[in-house]
Amino acid sequence: MSQNILCTQNPVNDKEALDALLKDKRGQQYYDEMTRLEVDTAALSKSLNDTCHSRIRTWLELCAHCGMCADACAFYLSNEKDPKQVPSYKIQSTLGEIVRRKGNVDNALMRYAMDVAWGKCTCCNRCGLYCPFGIDMGVMMSYLRGLLFSQGFVPWEMKIGSGMHRIFRAQMDVTVEDWVETCEWMEEEWEDDWPGLKIPVDKENADIMYTVNAREPKHYPEDIAEAAVLFSIAGENWTVPGEGWEETSLAMFAGDWEGSQLQAQSVYDAMDRLKPKRMIVTECGHAYRATVIEGPYWTGQKSGKTPIETLHYVEWVAEALRTGKLKIDPAKKIKEPVTLHDSCNYVRNGGLSQCGREIMSYIAEDFREMTPNGDHNFCCGGGGGMNGIGKYREERNTGQKVKRDQILATGAKLVITPCHNCWDAIRDLEEVYKIGIRWSFLKPLLLDMVIVPEHLKPKEE
Amino acid sequence: MFKKILFATTGTPSCDSAARVAFDMAKRYNAELVTINVFGVPSRSFSQTVTDIRTGDEVDLHDDRLEEIKNELEKTYVQLIKDYTPCETVVTVGIPHTEILRLARKKEIDLIVIGARTSAEENENSVNRHIVGRTLQSVARSARCPVLVIGRTAASFWGGISNIVFGTDFSKASDEAFKFAFNLAQTFNSSLHLFHAIDISADPFEITKNQEVIEDRIRDAREKIRSKYLSKMEGFNDYEIDVWEGIPYVEIVKYARESFADLIVMSHHTKKMDPEKAVLGSTVEQVVLRSNAPVISVNHPARQKKQ
Repeated sequence: MSQNILCTQNPVNDKEALDALLKDKRGQQYYDEMTRLEVDTAALSKSLNDTCHSRIRTWLELCAHCGMCADACAFYLSNEKDPKQVPSYKIQSTLGEIVRRKGNVDNALMRYAMDVAWGKCTCCNRCGLYCPFGIDMGVMMSYLRGLLFSQGFVPWEMKIGSGMHRIFRAQMDVTVEDWVETCEWMEEEWEDDWPGLKIPVDKENADIMYTVNAREPKHYPEDIAEAAVLFSIAGENWTVPGEGWEETSLAMFAGDWEGSQLQAQSVYDAMDRLKPKRMIVTECGHAYRATVIEGPYWTGQKSGKTPIETLHYVEWVAEALRTGKLKIDPAKKIKEPVTLHDSCNYVRNGGLSQCGREIMSYIAEDFREMTPNGDHNFCCGGGGGMNGIGKYREERNTGQKVKRDQILATGAKLVITPCHNCWDAIRDLEEVYKIGIRWSFLKPLLLDMVIVPEHLKPKEE
Repeated sequence: MFKKILFATTGTPSCDSAARVAFDMAKRYNAELVTINVFGVPSRSFSQTVTDIRTGDEVDLHDDRLEEIKNELEKTYVQLIKDYTPCETVVTVGIPHTEILRLARKKEIDLIVIGARTSAEENENSVNRHIVGRTLQSVARSARCPVLVIGRTAASFWGGISNIVFGTDFSKASDEAFKFAFNLAQTFNSSLHLFHAIDISADPFEITKNQEVIEDRIRDAREKIRSKYLSKMEGFNDYEIDVWEGIPYVEIVKYARESFADLIVMSHHTKKMDPEKAVLGSTVEQVVLRSNAPVISVNHPARQKKQ
C-alpha cells in the first residue's frame, strides 16, 4: 500500500483531515502523492459491475463518432478545435477506457481521466443537446467523476469541498451558529433603512422556506438582507431554516455521492421540520441542480421530487413580477443595454429558460440576448467546479473565450448572472480579458427599481 | 468615553496616521484596542486562494500565512508607535467592510478608527484604492458606533480638542451625529460650531441664481439649527452657528479651517452607492480627503444589546 497521507481513497470526514489538506499549499503534496496513489482495480471493477448499467454501456457503444458534439463544446471552440476537446473523445478516452478494461487501469490513466473530467468539462451538458442519439455526456462525466472520487483521483479543492459538506453540511466552514448570527446581524444592520425588517429563523408553516449558498453568510451577507427586503416588499410569509440552510453541493462537483446525499438530506430534513408550503433556492445554479434535480434521487425520494415544491429564485421573481407582488418603477428600469447569462444548471438542465426572459421584460428597456441563448447557451466557463480548481485555472480562462465573445457581441456592458458560480466566472472573465463589463445578481438590481410600500420606508422625522 | 476601539488597517503607510491616533486614543482613554487587517479578498470561487489587497496578487491562504502577516503587522506598529502597547490583532480574509463590521458587532466596539486613502498614494494598486474607498463608505454607513476617519497625514492627533465642527444636512442620521458632537463638546469643554452648507451645485432650476433666495435659505437653515439643536443644548454657551452656500464639501473644509477645527463630526448616511461612484464618494469622503482635521462619522444610535 502507498504511504500517502493527504491523497487517499478515503473521503474527508473530520476536521483534522480537513485541516491537514488545507495546510497543503495549493495541493502540492497532495498532487505529488497522487502520482503514487494505487488504483484499487478490484474495487473499481466491482463498482462498474454494480453501477455501470445498460444505459451508459449502450451510450458508449452507440457513439458513432459523428462529431456533432464537437461544435457544441465551449472548450473545443476555445481551444482552436483541438480534437482532444471533442466531447465524444473526452468520454471515450476516459470512462470508455475504464469500462473496456473492466477497471483494470493504472495510475496514469486515472490521473488523465481526472484532468479531463474536471479540467476539460464543466458538465454543462450542451453536447448532449446536440447528439443525434441523445447520448448524455454530462451524466457520463458525472458518473466518471464518481468513479474517480471513490479511488481518490479528485482535484485538491474538490476533496476539500466534499469534506466541508461532510463536516459542516455546507461548502465552507460556516456553522449553524455562524449562520443564525449572520441573519441577526443583517436584520440589525438593515432595519434602519427598512423598518421592521425580519429574517425569521425556523418559523414553522411559512409559505416559503428560503435556502442559500454558504458564500452568502461567509462573504456576502448583504445578499441575505437583500432577499429579506424583497420578500418583505412582496409581503411573503417566509423563513430560513436554522439547520439545513445550505443549498449547494461541492460534493456533487466532486463526484462524492455520499456527501451529496447527506447535504441534500439536511435540506429535506428542514422541510420536514418546518413544514413550509414551498422552498426557494437563492440565485445559484448548481445548488438547484443538486437539491432540486439530483437530490431526490440521492436521497431516495419515491416521487423523484423534493418533499415540497421547490422554486429557483428566478421562478419566484418572475412569479412576483407577474402577480404584482413586486412592482417595478417604470422610471427606474435598466436603460442601458443589458444581457442575461443563462446558468446551465437551471436553464438547460432545469428547464427554466423562460423565467429569465420574463423577468427581463419587466426590468430592462434594452435587453439584448446572447447568441445562442436559453437552452442553447454556452457555459460561463467555470461550471462543474472548474472555477475553484487552481490546477485547471488556465484551462478555465481559455474556455471562457466563447462566453467573452458572446457578451461582446451583444454590446451590453451589464451582464445579469443569477448564479453564484456564473457571477464568479464572469467576474474572473473581466479580470482576465478586461472587456469593460459589470456583472450583477438580480437582487441588488431589483432593489434599485422596485416600488417600496409606504410602511417599509424609513421615517425621516 | 471609549472603552473598546477597533483600528482597521491595510498595514500600509496610508494607515500610519490612523494607527498613531488609534494607539494614542486607546492609551489616553484606557481603552481596549483591537486591530483588524483584512488582507485578502475571496476570489476564484471556492478556491483556497485570495487576492492580496495590497499587491493585487493571487496568494495562497493557510494558517501560516495569516500568522506571518500578523507578526509583520505587529512589528510595523511596534516600530511606528512610540509607546506601543500590545493589543489583539485579527488578521483575516473576506470582503473588508463585512469583516470589519462583523468584528465590531461581535466585540461591541464603541469607536472604529480607519485610515482613508489620500492623493499622495498614487503608487498603490487600483484594487487597493478601490477597496479602501468602498470599505470606508460601507463601514461608515453601517457601523453602530462612531467611525473616526483619518485622512491627511497632517491630521491633528487626538490631544486637546478645542473646536468641534458639526456639519449637518438635517437628516435623521445627522441627529445622531449631533448627539455625539454635543456630548464630545461637553466632555472636552470645547467650542461647538454648528454648520450647514446650502448646496448650490445641484440646482437644476437655478433657483439660487437669485441672491435673495440664497439668503432666505440661509435664514431658514439658521432657524432650523436653532430649533433642532440649540433646544437640546441648554446651559451650553460655547457655540457658533454658521450657514454658507456652495458645494457642501468645499464649504465644510473651508469652514473647518477658519474655525481651527480639531475634529469634524458628520453623518454619512448615503444609501448604497454604485461601487464605481463610491470611489469618489460622498460629501464625507470628500471632506476626509481634503480637510486637515480628522472626521468622525456617526449615523446610527449605539447598538442596543439584545436581551
